[in-house]
Amino acid sequence: MPEMEWVVGIAETKTAMSPDRLLAIGLGSCVAVTVHDCQKKIGGLAHIMLPSSRFHAKANVKGKYADTAIKAMVEELALKGGEKDRFEAKLVGGANMFSTIIQNPLPIGTRNLMAVREILVEMKIPITGEDVGGTQGRSLVFNLSDGKILVRKINQSDIWI
Amino acid sequence: MEMDEEVFSDFQLDALREIGNVGAGHAATALSQMVGRPINMSITKVMVLPTEGIAGFLGGIEKNVAAVYMPVYGDICGVVLIFFPVEVLPSLASLLLQRNSQSTEELTELDRSAVKELGSILTGSYLSALFRFIHIQMIHGVPTLVVDMAQAILDTVLVDLEQKEDVAIVIETEFLEREKQLTGSFFLLPETGSLTKIFNAFSKTLEMPGDA
Repeated sequence: MPEMEWVVGIAETKTAMSPDRLLAIGLGSCVAVTVHDCQKKIGGLAHIMLPSSRFHAKANVKGKYADTAIKAMVEELALKGGEKDRFEAKLVGGANMFSTIIQNPLPIGTRNLMAVREILVEMKIPITGEDVGGTQGRSLVFNLSDGKILVRKINQSDIWI
Repeated sequence: MEMDEEVFSDFQLDALREIGNVGAGHAATALSQMVGRPINMSITKVMVLPTEGIAGFLGGIEKNVAAVYMPVYGDICGVVLIFFPVEVLPSLASLLLQRNSQSTEELTELDRSAVKELGSILTGSYLSALFRFIHIQMIHGVPTLVVDMAQAILDTVLVDLEQKEDVAIVIETEFLEREKQLTGSFFLLPETGSLTKIFNAFSKTLEMPGDA
C-alpha cells in the first residue's frame, strides 16, 4: 500500500495507520497533540485551537477544543485497536507570536498547552516529546511507523522529537 | 473570487476601491512629507476574501511572510493585518529611514520600528478614508511586526478573534520607491456583525438600495 500524507487542518482530528503520515501546517498558537501506539503503529493528531469547550455555548466542533478533541481522538484510536496503556503523546505548537494581543490572563498558546497537559495527565497518557512555546510558528510531519515527529520552523534547522 | 459577488455588489466594491484610493492618496502624502520626496502609491486590487483563502492569496500556508498586526476599535472592531513579502522589508525600512537601500541584512530594531510605522500610516489613512466616505469610525492600536509562516500568523489572529466574520476586506497597495515596486496587502478582519454595519453605511451614505 502506498503511503499517504493526511493534512489535519485547524480544529480537525484525524487518526491513521503506518505507513501513512499525519501533517499539521502553520501552527501558531494552536497546539497539535499526537498520540501513538508503537505496537499497532497507529496514531492520531488533534489540531487544537482553544483550551476548553466549557465556556463556549455552541461548542459543536469537537476538534476545536483541547478537552473534546483529545478525548474523541483517543476513543477513535481505541476503536481501531489501539491499547490505552501503550499510548504516548507528543506536543507541538502553542507559540505566542504577537506580544500586543490582549493576553487575558495568559496568552492563548500558553493556555492551550496548560489545558492539553492537564487532560493528558487526567487520561494517564505520558508526554514523551515536545517542541512548544516560543514565538515562532511550526509545521510537523508525524510518522506513524515509529511515532517520530519532524518539526519545521522558518529559518531554523528541522528537528525530530 | 466568487465570494465577492455574494458579499459585496460590484457597486459596493467600486466604492471600496474608491475609499482605498483616497486612503492610499493620504498615505502617500503623509509618507512624502515624512521623507521629503514624492512617494507614489496606488491600489492594485480591492476584494473580499474568505478567511480560509488568505494564506493561498499570500503564496501558500507555509510561505514566509511579514505581517504588521494592529487591533482596531470603534464602530467596527477587529484586526488589521498588513502583509509584505519578506524580501521587501529592508527596502521599506530604508524608505522610511531615508537611507540608501541596504542589502538583505538582518533587520535591526530600528528597521522593525520603521516597518511598523509604515503599517500604522497606511492603516490610519485607510481608516480615515472609511470614515470620510461612510462615516464608520475606527481607531487602531499599537502595531506589532511578525515574520513567520502565513498560516501560523493567521491561526493566531483568527483564534484571538473568535467572533469574526468569515471574510476579510483586502486592499492591495503598491508603492513605487526608486523604480522598485513594493507591494503590501492590507487586510481588515472584522468581528461578527461588522459587514452588516458596512452595508448599512454604504446604503445610507452612497444612497444605494439596501439590498444586502
